[in-house]
Amino acid sequence: MKTIFSLINVVIAIAAGALVFLGYVFPDLLGGMRAILLQWAIILAAFALLVGILNLMQAHWRKVTTKQPKAVYSLVVLASLVATLLVTALSGPAGKWSLWIYNNLQVPIEISLLAVLAIVLAYAAARLMRRRMTWYTGMFLVTVLLVLLSTAPLYLIGEVSLLNSLHSLIVDILAVAGARGLLLGVALGTIAAGLRVLMGADRPYGG
Amino acid sequence: MSALLDAYGNILGLLLALLCLGLIILFVATGRNKPGRNLREIPAFQRFRREVGLAVESGKRLHISLGHGGINEIPAGSALVGLTMLDRCARAASISDRPPVATSGDPLLAILSQDTLRGTYHDLNAERLYDPSSGRLSGLTPLSFTAGAIPVIHDEQISANILAGHFGGEVALLTEAGERSGSLTVGGSDNITAQAVLYASAQEPLIGEELYAGGAYLGAGSIHAASLRMQDILRWLLIALILIGALFKLFTGGG
Repeated sequence: MKTIFSLINVVIAIAAGALVFLGYVFPDLLGGMRAILLQWAIILAAFALLVGILNLMQAHWRKVTTKQPKAVYSLVVLASLVATLLVTALSGPAGKWSLWIYNNLQVPIEISLLAVLAIVLAYAAARLMRRRMTWYTGMFLVTVLLVLLSTAPLYLIGEVSLLNSLHSLIVDILAVAGARGLLLGVALGTIAAGLRVLMGADRPYGG
Repeated sequence: MSALLDAYGNILGLLLALLCLGLIILFVATGRNKPGRNLREIPAFQRFRREVGLAVESGKRLHISLGHGGINEIPAGSALVGLTMLDRCARAASISDRPPVATSGDPLLAILSQDTLRGTYHDLNAERLYDPSSGRLSGLTPLSFTAGAIPVIHDEQISANILAGHFGGEVALLTEAGERSGSLTVGGSDNITAQAVLYASAQEPLIGEELYAGGAYLGAGSIHAASLRMQDILRWLLIALILIGALFKLFTGGG
């Protein structure tokens, strides 16, 4: 029975994937079908959100009930989740209290994490010299320093024309060329990953 | 040239996809892609394979973070590679009492990670190892996802983290957590910013298309090796086309 279900999963996945892809190539012929399938995908994604939140609650509830270390944080997560759900259900997603939670709790917490991130990145750059001091690392760090120095006028010195020229060279030419090269590799990798799913070779959907 | 691309862009896209498909089938059929053959050394995968063995021996866990890119969006490619790596890790660690744990920032991806683990354990007749909480949604925004994944790295006896998916600059918080807990971190992403951050902060970064070679390097089957070979050929083809285009522009004076 499991084999039959697996086979049905594979057939549905390949057929849906192929129809959506061909819908982009032949919009007049299969564009309507593509739109319907994408609408279904959006509905399924919304339902998956509910399942995902239940999964999140289950994981933290288990931590609390089995009294694992730092379970108190899981309790905070659960309490916050329930409180936010209740407030949003009562006042609406754009209601006064929902926005209050967003503006006064979520945004400040995320901004403070970003502040920590700046310190972590500076520390990581320093650690990189100790861990992997190669020519590439040296080039990476010198480039970072040059771009940092040339991004804003220097204290007591002001703008340095040489640094500005270097900034333009690095940001507008070298970085763009390098990024395009990396993105070409990423694009080819994405095509390969998509084709493996379309061929039924990769089956992350329980096939 | 641009008018030609506008008019026939869709057909050219189809032809490119068919070319890729044809090359993959050709390389699988001709068997020129024996596992491990013709693959250059990528230190990140070598070290990760070693760490998987050590994790099984020492009774520790592997953590695979799939990022926060949606499966129905462009970053899906990197997430699919992450799911393949999850499958390989689950297989390698199936003799251990502590199965790998996957975190993601997208609900669909979390469900797919659970499905991947369930399918892998079913194949291995080891269903007892499957635990739905091994495939977790750790948060819904990039920073909440990161904040939810950090305790997993700190508190669940993780020996190695593989970060394979769509991340932003906040991935540095995950690599820092790995560093502090003394676990190995291998990381790759489709996002250029995340790649730069991973280069600086991960112990073993995967740059550019190296992430997409994960399946081939972790022994996920001949089709992964064949698709890697296809990528190599198309990359050289694109380089040649770019050079020809540049030369053409140089000698014809632009336009």
